[in-house]
Amino acid sequence: MVDFSSILALLVEGVLLAALGVLTGILFMGIARKVVARVHNRVGPPVYQSYIDIIKLLTKKTNISHGWIFDLALLFSISGILLTLLFLPIGGIKLLSIHGDLFLVLYLLAIPALGFALGAGASGNPNAGIGVMRALVMMFSYELPFIIAVLAVMIYYDTTSIATIVASQSHMRWAILVPPLLIGALVADMALQGMLMEKPFDIPIAPHEIASGPMVEFGGKYLGTLMLYKATSIVVETTLFVDLFLGGAVVLDPATYGAVAYAVNLVVWFLLILAVFIISVLINTVFPRFRIEQALKFYWSYDTALAILALMWIYFLYI
Amino acid sequence: MIWEAISLMVLLALLAYATGRLSRYSGIFAVLAGFVPLAMLFDWAPTAGLKHLISLGFEKSTAVNIKIATLHFSITPLSWLFLTMVGGIFPFIALYAISYFKKAPGGFFGSMTLALVGATGVVLASDLLTFFIFWEVMSWSAFLLVVRGRDRSAITSYFSFSALSAYLILFGIMVLRSEAETLSFSSLSSSITSSRLTLLAFISMAAGFGVKGALMPLHIWAPRAYSRSEEPFVAYLAGGLSKLGYYGIFLLFYSFVGVSVITRFGTFRGVPYLGYSLAIFGALSAFIGTVLAFMEDDLRKLLAYSSIGQLGYIAIGIGIGTPLALSGALFQAVNHTFFKAVLFLAAGSVYYRTGRWKISELGGVAYRMPFTFLAALFSIFALAAIPITSGFAAKWLLYVSTVDKRFVFLTPIMLIAGVGAFLYSFRILYGVFLGEPRYPDIKEAPALQLIPMWILVMPLVIFLIFPGKLMDVFGEIFAYYGLEGVSHTDFAITTSLSSYNTLAVIFALMGGLMVAFIIYVSRPHRVVSHYDNYLSGEIPEVHEGLSLHAATRYYKPVEDLFQPYFAHGAERFYHHIEVGLEGVGDGLRRLFKTTVSNMIYLVLAGLLLIGWWLTW
Repeated sequence: MVDFSSILALLVEGVLLAALGVLTGILFMGIARKVVARVHNRVGPPVYQSYIDIIKLLTKKTNISHGWIFDLALLFSISGILLTLLFLPIGGIKLLSIHGDLFLVLYLLAIPALGFALGAGASGNPNAGIGVMRALVMMFSYELPFIIAVLAVMIYYDTTSIATIVASQSHMRWAILVPPLLIGALVADMALQGMLMEKPFDIPIAPHEIASGPMVEFGGKYLGTLMLYKATSIVVETTLFVDLFLGGAVVLDPATYGAVAYAVNLVVWFLLILAVFIISVLINTVFPRFRIEQALKFYWSYDTALAILALMWIYFLYI
Repeated sequence: MIWEAISLMVLLALLAYATGRLSRYSGIFAVLAGFVPLAMLFDWAPTAGLKHLISLGFEKSTAVNIKIATLHFSITPLSWLFLTMVGGIFPFIALYAISYFKKAPGGFFGSMTLALVGATGVVLASDLLTFFIFWEVMSWSAFLLVVRGRDRSAITSYFSFSALSAYLILFGIMVLRSEAETLSFSSLSSSITSSRLTLLAFISMAAGFGVKGALMPLHIWAPRAYSRSEEPFVAYLAGGLSKLGYYGIFLLFYSFVGVSVITRFGTFRGVPYLGYSLAIFGALSAFIGTVLAFMEDDLRKLLAYSSIGQLGYIAIGIGIGTPLALSGALFQAVNHTFFKAVLFLAAGSVYYRTGRWKISELGGVAYRMPFTFLAALFSIFALAAIPITSGFAAKWLLYVSTVDKRFVFLTPIMLIAGVGAFLYSFRILYGVFLGEPRYPDIKEAPALQLIPMWILVMPLVIFLIFPGKLMDVFGEIFAYYGLEGVSHTDFAITTSLSSYNTLAVIFALMGGLMVAFIIYVSRPHRVVSHYDNYLSGEIPEVHEGLSLHAATRYYKPVEDLFQPYFAHGAERFYHHIEVGLEGVGDGLRRLFKTTVSNMIYLVLAGLLLIGWWLTW
């Protein structure tokens, strides 16, 4: 027996939260530009500049494509990232996260990335090829410490489901308050710097070296979609961090406080992911860029060592 | 009926061999032979739906008296599953091969059919003697096909490793026979004891099967044989025959020796040490195979190393041995059969049209061969476990099973190998299919090549939507060996740690694609040439030697970092053994070329030693 009203509710929730995620992400891009400008002692563009940019790009009359494989970038990047967003609990709203888990989210994140890479490859521009190579090597670099840190969380709560991890951290028992998981959070935050492609890890898009890398051939609606993808991925990646280490931003229990709890939790979620993002942007403003092999060395030595420390601490003393 | 069917296949093999020099259409006989296992599969299908329509009358088990021995065959749920892997892909690969060869291929189809006969016999055998006979038929006919590649290093390495594997397995069989006084699968495990000899037999058989499954460090033959043989055969070797190694290992755990005996050698958190060490070897294969794969420039070698990596996951699953892990291993085996076969066939089609194997010399093939590209793309999605193919379910089951057992070493290794798979996948996609259009004049692959490829892609789609159907088959296998099943419905798999619902993924993706499609059609676009890019002021062809394709040593930064660690790899180890053996052989030869008096003293010394040994 299929329950149509609950599916309809899920559909409405999904559409609203996806819209919220995209709009928040675009706002964050604007905030980032403003923050960087203020640190550099400039005035900077207004925070709503990114909305204007995206609307302009999406409504352009001339759009250049390099064939149907190039178009896959547009189709898969935005759909893949929205799909991933729906599998994350946002401020305690579970959505589809009960139908998947952390491993699924890690692999879902690859759909938009691979789609984007296909389009970049099909553009026939060598800079795009090099950019994708760097992006994949970056992924190979930061995933190792990130996975080990996340594994510590998973075996501490004895689950791989993000929804259950969030539920186990209710009543403010955040993962970050457990000493080894604090180290884990530190590791994951460093990995997040690479995921968000902020300096010193903006190697794949390095504008001065490879002309923005994978994005080099994209313009008009294609570039607009990629900006939407970038904006949403900021929200997805910071939300993943908040869900794993900061209790999923659940401060009020919806069972006791009802609709108010949802509103409060969403506000807390917004503030927490903003905080996580601002930290990353601030690191971004003061660092130069690593070379790709330096990034690999950094992640596979210092960051991984810390991650192994956190995992071993959990493994031998907590379970 | 089983024996008659096998005889029919041998007859077809002879016909294919006899007509092999006349025309490439002798492959028809191989295709026909391929339909025999399909008929068996159909007749024994565990789901009742098809079976009641028509019955071909294959018996469940049979014994055949040949003059010196009795051969036993029977069908179990496990052998049914493995028959789908080794038999299910064969007719399509044979069909592809008819189009792949430009002239009469001689003994190719005969040997291919014999390999199928061997593989079918191995999965149907129900005693060790039958098993070994057909194992050797399979190994030897594969050897004949490797020889056709005319590459000395491939031939010698395949031969020596196959021989090693055969000796190890035969040794194990003899020990088990002497321990249990029986060769039959059904009574072996009840009469085996946990002695040191059993342990020795177990390890030697596991190593013997590991050779066929290209488990590190016994994988040396695989990249050479895969990269120097004809593509349809390689597709069958990687897709079908390599699974037989894991079939053997599975039987070793659950039928030959039995879990109760294996656990007596000690356990680690409920997993026997022997299983755990197999899982460690599997994890090393998965990681090292992956890293070697993305540093490789030869497309076939890249795919060979990727095979080694992907097969490593099966070893991990069988080693851990919980129902979750076993489901993951079997799921991975099924997936690997289809996606690796398609990838090798697609690589063959690219070679058929361009005549190139080196990734650095290819590029832009997809614009001219879109259907080949799409088949390859879909298989690559399955290989990289992207959740829009069935590839993800297998990896997911394995990951969850390791977290479930809290094996903190295996999970990160497997996951990072999974990320590494993205790296070499993209090297194939970009280096071969995308980038600069270097082959503007080639045509799409012939229909006879495309149709088999696309048929082989279908299971990857079907098991994405219905992973539960495959889990049902695994459930029967678990019931047969007295294990618990994994709870699942048609679309979802549930474990104690989390659950995975494919319908949620598919519908959410469709929703996302709708949004993307609205953006896509909202504004028109114009398609321009690949040379009309940001260099637009310049025309690249004017510059001599300017390459717009960044595919030469694509992952150079990583290569430079990893290279020192691979300098002392397995190749070097075997090279030392080779040099040592040559030394021993040289010494022996010198002994026999010596003077008569030395010879007499040698014989005397030998007699003395034998005398000592006899009187001791």
